[in-house]
Parts: sequence; C-alpha cells; structure tokens
Amino acid sequence: MSKPLKCACGSDEKELLVRLEEIIHSMKDKPGALIPVLQAAQSLFGYLPEEAILKVSEMLREPLSKVYGVITFYSFFSLKPRGKYLIRVCLGTACYVQGANEIITALKTQLGIEIGETTKDKLFTLDVGRCFGACGLAPVMMVNDDVHSWVKSSQIGKILKTYERKQPKKEEATV
Amino acid sequence: MKITINNNIFEAQENDTVLDVARRNDIYIPTLCYHVKTGQTAKCRACVVDVEGMRGMQTSCNLKVRDGMNVHTDTKEVQEAQKMVVDLMLASGYHNCLACERSGTCELQDACYHLGIEKSTYKDAPTGRKDESSEFIVIDFDKCIKCGRCVNICNNRVVNEVLGFGYRGKETEIMCDDDVAMGLSTCVQCGECVQICPTGALTDKKSRGKGRDAQFEKVDTTCPYCGTGCQLTLHVDKAKNKVVRVTGRDEWPNNGMLCVKGRYGFEFHASPKRLQYPLIKKNGKHEQATWDEALDLITEKIKTTVGKYGPDVFSALGSGRITNENNYAIQKFTRAVVKTNNIDHCARTCHAPTVAGLAHAFGSGAATNSVDEILETDLIFVIGSNMTEAHPVVSYYVKQAVKNGSRMIVCDPRRVDIAHWANLYVPLKVGTDVPFLNGLINEIIQNNWHNEAFMKNNTENPEDLKEWIKEYPVEKASEICGVPVEQMKQVAKLLGTAEKVSVIYCLGITEHTTGTDNVKTIANLQMVLGHLGKRGCGVNPLRGQNNVQGACDMGALPNVYHNYISVKDEKTKEKIEKHWGVSGLSLKEGYKLPTMLHKATTGDTKILFCVGDNTVQTEPNMAKTIQEVKALEFLVVIDIFENATTDFADVILPDVCFNEDFGTYSNLDRRVHLLRKAVNPPGEAKPTWWIMNELGKRLGVDLKFTSAEATWEDMRATGTIMGGITYERIQHKGLQWPCPTVTHPGTPILHTNGKFTRGKGLFSHTQYRSQAEMPDKEYPFVLSTGRRLWHYHTGTQTRNSIGLENIFPEELLEISPVDAARMHIKSGDMVKATSRRGEITVKAWVTERSPEGVVWCTFHFREAHANILTNDAYDNVTETPEYKACAIRIEKVSEGVETVSRGFRQARP
Ligand code: SF4
Ligand code: SF4
Ligand code: SF4
Ligand code: FES
Ligand code: FES
Repeated sequence: MSKPLKCACGSDEKELLVRLEEIIHSMKDKPGALIPVLQAAQSLFGYLPEEAILKVSEMLREPLSKVYGVITFYSFFSLKPRGKYLIRVCLGTACYVQGANEIITALKTQLGIEIGETTKDKLFTLDVGRCFGACGLAPVMMVNDDVHSWVKSSQIGKILKTYERKQPKKEEATV
Repeated sequence: MKITINNNIFEAQENDTVLDVARRNDIYIPTLCYHVKTGQTAKCRACVVDVEGMRGMQTSCNLKVRDGMNVHTDTKEVQEAQKMVVDLMLASGYHNCLACERSGTCELQDACYHLGIEKSTYKDAPTGRKDESSEFIVIDFDKCIKCGRCVNICNNRVVNEVLGFGYRGKETEIMCDDDVAMGLSTCVQCGECVQICPTGALTDKKSRGKGRDAQFEKVDTTCPYCGTGCQLTLHVDKAKNKVVRVTGRDEWPNNGMLCVKGRYGFEFHASPKRLQYPLIKKNGKHEQATWDEALDLITEKIKTTVGKYGPDVFSALGSGRITNENNYAIQKFTRAVVKTNNIDHCARTCHAPTVAGLAHAFGSGAATNSVDEILETDLIFVIGSNMTEAHPVVSYYVKQAVKNGSRMIVCDPRRVDIAHWANLYVPLKVGTDVPFLNGLINEIIQNNWHNEAFMKNNTENPEDLKEWIKEYPVEKASEICGVPVEQMKQVAKLLGTAEKVSVIYCLGITEHTTGTDNVKTIANLQMVLGHLGKRGCGVNPLRGQNNVQGACDMGALPNVYHNYISVKDEKTKEKIEKHWGVSGLSLKEGYKLPTMLHKATTGDTKILFCVGDNTVQTEPNMAKTIQEVKALEFLVVIDIFENATTDFADVILPDVCFNEDFGTYSNLDRRVHLLRKAVNPPGEAKPTWWIMNELGKRLGVDLKFTSAEATWEDMRATGTIMGGITYERIQHKGLQWPCPTVTHPGTPILHTNGKFTRGKGLFSHTQYRSQAEMPDKEYPFVLSTGRRLWHYHTGTQTRNSIGLENIFPEELLEISPVDAARMHIKSGDMVKATSRRGEITVKAWVTERSPEGVVWCTFHFREAHANILTNDAYDNVTETPEYKACAIRIEKVSEGVETVSRGFRQARP
C-alpha cells in the first residue's frame, strides 16, 4: 500500500475497521441501528472515513446513499478527520465586531490550515461557529469544552502551546 | 359513495383519494410529488384543494374521500394557494423551458400552464450545476424540485439503491451513493428515475436535442434482449427512420421498468454496419447480389445436394432471437420442403435441459409460474442465476419481494450481486448441484418437512425417491459440494418450513454435462415440498433470450413440431401433412445442433441454414466449430450483422430486426407478446418468413407465408397450446399459453391443484457425476462463463448501440483476490488464459465475486471470448455443452493500470 492510513490515536486504520465490524455485528439486528452504528464509528475513527461508511452500508445492508444522507444531515458527523482538539471560533455578531476574523487569521497562519481542516499531526481542527451565547466575553473561541474569552490574536500562540504541551512525546505516541 | 367537486356530483370508491376522483373525471389538479408508483408523500402541497367543513387547504393526493364531501379545486383561494406553491418551486430552482428537454411533457410546466404562471415572481438563482458524467442520464440540479420520486423508485421499485437525499435544509440535494458523480456510482443506468421525474432534472442524454416529444410517433412493442419480455414504447422519428428514445410501458411483465439494454441499447437497428443486400461468396470474397441470384443459387444447391444424398444432409438453425413467425417459417421449410427434421436452435446451448427435464417430470418444459407472483412468495430459492445482470427486471421483483419481507436463499459458486439481498448466501462448488440438492431433499424428508399428501396423491413414485435419496445424507452431500453441514441443514429447514417456495434458476443449472439431471433434481425438490400449481410457488427457469421460449414453442427442435407434438407420431404427421398440403414428412427425429456440426466433418451434413445464431462464437471450443463449419459444402447465414459465422458463409441474407416487421416473442413466463413495425428495414433486408416462402416457391411448395400474421395464423391452425392467441388479442397485453381457444384467458400457473400436464409428477433418480474436465496441475483453474449487464449474446446488438460499449468496452476475466495476490495480478493487468483448446489474452478484474480457484468471463466480445476456451463436452440427454466448467491455466502477460473497485455490488469495476 502506498499510504498507510493512521488515525488520531495512532493505531492502524485496518485494525479499526476490524473493530468496527465487530461493533456492527453486535448491533446490526436491532432496528434503527444505523445512527448508533455511525456514532460508534465516529468515536472509533474520530470521523467517518470512506472505508467505514462503505462497511456500514454493506453490513447493515442499507443503501450507501441512505447512510451518506444521514451523515450529511446531522452536523454531528464529520467526513473529514478531526484533530484531538476542535477549535471553534465564534463568528456571531458580537464576536465578529470584536475582531473574530483576526483570531481566525492568526490561527490559520500558525496552524497552517484552512477552516474545516486538521493539522498534519492530527492535533487541531479549525472550525467556526455561530453565537455561543457568551457575547459578554467576545471574542470567544472554544477548544473542545474549554472557553477562551476576550481572546486577542497575539495570545493565540500561547493558547496553542498549552495544548501541545499536554501531549506525550512523539515516540511514545506510536506503538 | 358520492362526492361533489366544483358543484358536480361524482361516484367515488371506498379507498379513493380526492385526487383519484378528480383525475378520473378530467379535473386537473397539479401534483408534483405524488405519483401512483411512489405514493403519497404530501411534500409539495401543489395539489391543495378546499373542502367544505375542513379548516385550511387540504392536500388532495392523500385525502381519502368521505361520502357527501364537497370539494372545490377552482376557487380563487385554491388557485392562489396552488399558484404560490408552484411559484416558490420555480424560485427555488432555475426553470427556463426554452431549451429544456422536457418542455411539453414536464409536469411543472403543465402546472404553470394551468395556473397561468408565466414567470416566477421571486428571483431565481441558477447554479448551472449539471452531472453529465454518466453514459445515458443527465442530472440538471437547477431543475430538481426535490419531490423525491426518483429516490423512492430507485430504492423501492428497481431496488438498485443508488439515489438518496443528502445534506439538509436549503442544501438538500439528490445524490448517487456517497455523493459521487453518477458515472462513478453504482448506478446501473436503468433509467427508471428518468421516466418518473416530473421535470427536466433527469433526462435521457441520448435524445437530447433530437426533437420534441410531440413530433415522434409512439410504437408499442417488446424488448429485443432478454427473455423477460419487457413491454416498451419506441419514440420514432419517422422522417429519419430512427428510434430516438425508449420508455417502459406500464404493462406486465415489467410495469414500466426496464434495464439499460432495453432502454438505451436501441441504435443497432439504424447502424450503418447492418447487412443490407444479399451477399454471395465469389473467389473467397462476399459480393453483393440480387435476391433472385441468391435465392436461385440456394435453390439449386438444395435441389442437387438433397437430390443426390437425401434430405438429412440438410440442417437448419432457428434462433431464440428471432420471432415466433420466423422460427415457424424455418421449421416448416425444413420439414415440409426439404423433408427432414434436422432443425434446432440455440436453446440447445442453454435451456434444452429445462425443456427435457421439466417435460419428463411434469409433462411441460416451461416455467410453471409468472414473474409477478414473485412478490407473493415466502421464500425465494435462487440457484445458478446472475439475475441482476442477465434478467435485470426479474431481479427488481425479487429485490422488491425481499424488501417487503420475503426471504431469499442464493446458491451460486460466484458471489453474484443478487446475493447482497439474500438472507443466506450459499457458495457451492461448481457442478455439484445434484448432490447439494439431494442432500437438502434427504434432510427435508428426514425431518418430516416434506409434503406427504402431495407426494402421495400427485406423484407417481414417491416411495422410490424416499428409498434412493438415503444415499445422500447431508454429511456426504456437504463433502462433495463444499457447503458446511450446518448451512445445508439451515437451508433445508428454511425450505422445509416455508409456506410458499419459488425456485428460480438459470444457466448455472443447465449448462453442465449433468444439466438435465440438475433440472430433474430441482423438480424433485419442489414435488417433495409440494410447492407447485399454486400462486407464488413453482419451478421458474429464467429463459435467456427474448424468444428462446418461443423458438421451442414453434418447433425449431429436432424432435417436435410446434406445440411440442412429437415428430414420431403417425397421426400428427398425417394431420400436419394435410394442413400443410404436403406428403412425406419425416418420422425420424432430427439431429441436435452439436450433431449437425459434428456430422459436417464426416460429410453427413452438407448444407447448413443458420438464422440469427452466430454459431462460431456461441458453440464451445471455437477451433473445432470452425473446422466443422469449414467442412460444410454450403453455409447460408441469415442475420442482421456480419459476425464470426458470416465469415464462412457461402450466401449471406440480410434479415430485418425487431422493429422492422410485425411478429411475436414468447417470454420466460410463456407470455406471447406482439412486436410492431416502427421503421423501414435498411436496404433490401427481408424477414425470414419471406425468404422461406420464396425458397418454398422455387422448390415447389406454397408455404403460405404472405405476412408475419399470415405465418402466425398458419401455425395457429394446427396449434393447440397457442391456438387461441391472435394478434388482435395481444394488441396491448400478452397472453400466457396454454391458451387453446380464442376465448381462453391464458394460463398464468401450470399444474394447478397438483394435476400435472402428464397426469402425476414423476421423480427421477439423479446421481452425482463430476464435471467433464476437472482442474489439474497443468490447468488448475475452473473457468465458468456467463453474461454481463451491459451486453447481450455475441455483442452484435449491444456493441452496435451507442454507449454500452463505453461503459464496458472489453472483456474482463474475473479472478478472486486470493488467487490474484498469489499470482501478483491486479485489476487491469493483462493475463493469458489457456485451455486444452485455445487461449485468449484478456484484462483481469480482481473481485470478491469470484471464489478461489474459479475464474469467469463471457462470450460477448469477438476479440477475446470464452468459447475459444470452453469444453465441447455435452449433457448426455440434450447435448447442451458444459459452458459452466472447464479447466484453464492463467499467466500474467503485462502490467496494467489498476481500476478502482469499491465493493462487489457492482456490474463493473
Ligand atoms: S430529480 Fe426529478 S424526481 Fe428526483 S427529486 Fe428532483 S425533480 Fe424529483
Ligand atoms: S438509473 Fe436506475 S439505478 Fe441509476 S439512479 Fe436511476 S433508478 Fe437508480
Ligand atoms: S430486462 Fe430483459 S427484456 Fe427487460 S429491458 Fe432488460 S433486456 Fe429487455
Ligand atoms: S457572538 Fe460570539 S458568543 Fe455570541
Ligand atoms: S402532489 Fe400532493 S403534496 Fe405533492
């Protein structure tokens, strides 16, 4: 194979597919299994790769278009790999006025990715959102469940560092 | 009950909707999502009406009538409400009708017309997005009104499960598979979605710009491809003498559905490569001749040769691809003029074991039940049928049945696509059908799942069977056929405990040296279970070609006249002689097809007439067939194209094709369908009945073939099973034989109430015999052969129609991933396949459809086809060749570009 597929946690995608098969097998006779199976697949891979979608369709005997229809209907499901940390910058009116765009620009340059993309090391995914309901703290950005308020573009580097530091060294990461 | 619409009182039925009543009485209500076939989704709200006593507007497409209901469809309020919906619909797309293919037949345009909408009051927003990636269908997203009909029909009627809705809200859109371009998706281009789309969102690519629908003449006829016998309408450009479009007709057996060949494989009729004039071979070259020259030459040849050596040096081949009339014509000519019974046709190479086996067991050699009954069955048992490719429309019914709760078992050495929908897929080893089925019967009897009463009352020899079947305990059977004991028991239990079982089989059963035994064993199984003579049951062989059933019915067989009356019967002979006005009909059975050919090499066959057969490419072991054909003194080929056989012909006569003359085809459930003339034949092409009539005249016999219908009438006069079928009766709908009198309604189910045609059913003792050529060290692979969705027979029709060739341009040898990995072969590599009889170089397709040790290809492509390799070993009863198993070896020749394949539920890589 030309490019070995690795997922966020480092284990081989092939292995994960085998795990997915087991999961589907255990759930497939329950009615309405499609959504729970997709949820399980997403938490396994961090997103829904093509191989996983094909597998779900084949094993549940659901048309591929139906499976894909469900995936694209719910924003919960992601078709692109997601990093360990999902960064969401609020683009609601208050945050926008307070300079959310500059934050996004800073994030883009420092991470080297566009909105919706994930860094090569699978650590960060950059996304935007609508009003988080914290307009008093604008501009707001969330990293997974952490809320960062009154963010200035000059602080971005520091914020990212704190998450990078939480990581074990590279060598330990891959088994 | 009665309801009032717009102050007029109308009669209504219990389950009617308001829309039903309105439509019956020509009251227009716009409907954009509802369609009888896809049902009420109440999505569009274009059909709103006002009902007195009900609040707000009601959607009429799903509003059930109540007695005394008072409905208004034409008040200002209703019209305004309808208008608003249609207006919004216009605005959410881009509907400029000027160049739209559907202008004139579009339901949205109709709605605007009726409501007086000239232009949307909102701003429309064209995106210009189109998907033109597929061969035959264009998707114009701007014209999609998201009614959902196509999604519904693709998933629930043809069950190809390609289309779906993706995304949400404003972004909602139809898509193929996981939103890939249609041309890259699993779409099989059946075109059903195009036929049901209300707008120009889905259109046929081929007919784009060819003209408006209204300027075409519509001719109802029958599909010229497989034995399903789909009913279709040809849209004909009379001025250009061409078919421009094909649509499915809402009639049995297909109810509007078609497959890619039937819908998009029609241009062959207008191909410049069609044979147009008689050709006579002079100095090794075919030269154009007049009909008189050609016919005189043939007459002379028959006179001298038959005069010198007797009638049996003459042989003729009818065909499963030509009409009943033409088959009757050639058999009558052979018998009445030449006075030999050496007449046969290509059923010899496919379903002859069916005819022989079922006639032996039941007294009639045809399918016992009808296609539509598949929907009513409880358990569908499929064995040896690749129906999604060879009989696509039958497979739609099977898949529908499964979707609606029927169970299905698929038994096949290859994981054919229909297995995807099966509850149980049983991969048995090639050529082990007899032990497999006997093992099942044994297990069924052991467990008392058999139908004792049926066996006792309706069969002749149940006790014999119970005795000898003991030779096949499941364990032993399992060892031979390779199906695990547990799985065999599971299958036996499913069969034994189901309420209605329908067995559907095809050439995987018949094309073996044990073909007739295989068929007899299937008959045994159904007689043990008692699933015969009832709706939703039976033994249902899928006859391959459009008219292979009919060619048998018409007596293009060496042992029977039309209607299956034996040639050895004195009384029949007299009766037929009297009717035909001849004497001296032969009482001797004629040669079967392979024998005719073998006898050429010993000089016993000197003249061969070959109508629509392409013998050289269709018989096994091509090298040998060529020798035999070369050894003939005189070969006459009547066909529509040059092919591998015409090369060797002394005279070639141009035939007409399916839409150039009237005629009939009999389909796989014994339904006789009408063909209509839609265009003029090219050049001087003539129907076979005319040719035979002319030759008859020259040889002193008036065959009375003055038209196709006259030929049919001539047959009918001595007909029994089809005596009641006239052209007039089948103008719109086919009739199923037996239909002995003109008032008889036809027979959908044979052997009802357990009364077999032959009286009582007959069990046959069948034994396992291995295939003629087992794989060995030198030739380690088993080669099995079959058909592809995109092509038909030797490709003369499909390869001369635009588009099919682009989808599937060359033969591929299917090989399992395990074997491929071992031999370092990947999809796209060139490999050489060699058998004891020849070799071909062909592209490999690595696919999980093939089990380890088995490879597969077809005979569609003249450049590299299976029959160069196949074995000329024959079924001992019917001389049907063993196309499904021979031994070959494979070597990789060169690297190729890997083709992408996603899963095995696909008819192409
Ligand atoms: S493509 Fe046609 S049938 Fe399908 S949803 Fe759109 S308008 Fe309806
Ligand atoms: S052409 Fe047939 S298979 Fe393809 S999307 Fe339309 S209905 Fe489905
Ligand atoms: S299923 Fe057979 S009869 Fe029907 S359209 Fe296809 S080829 Fe023609
Ligand atoms: S606008 Fe950003 S939190 Fe409300
Ligand atoms: S046709 Fe009735 S709601 Fe669409």
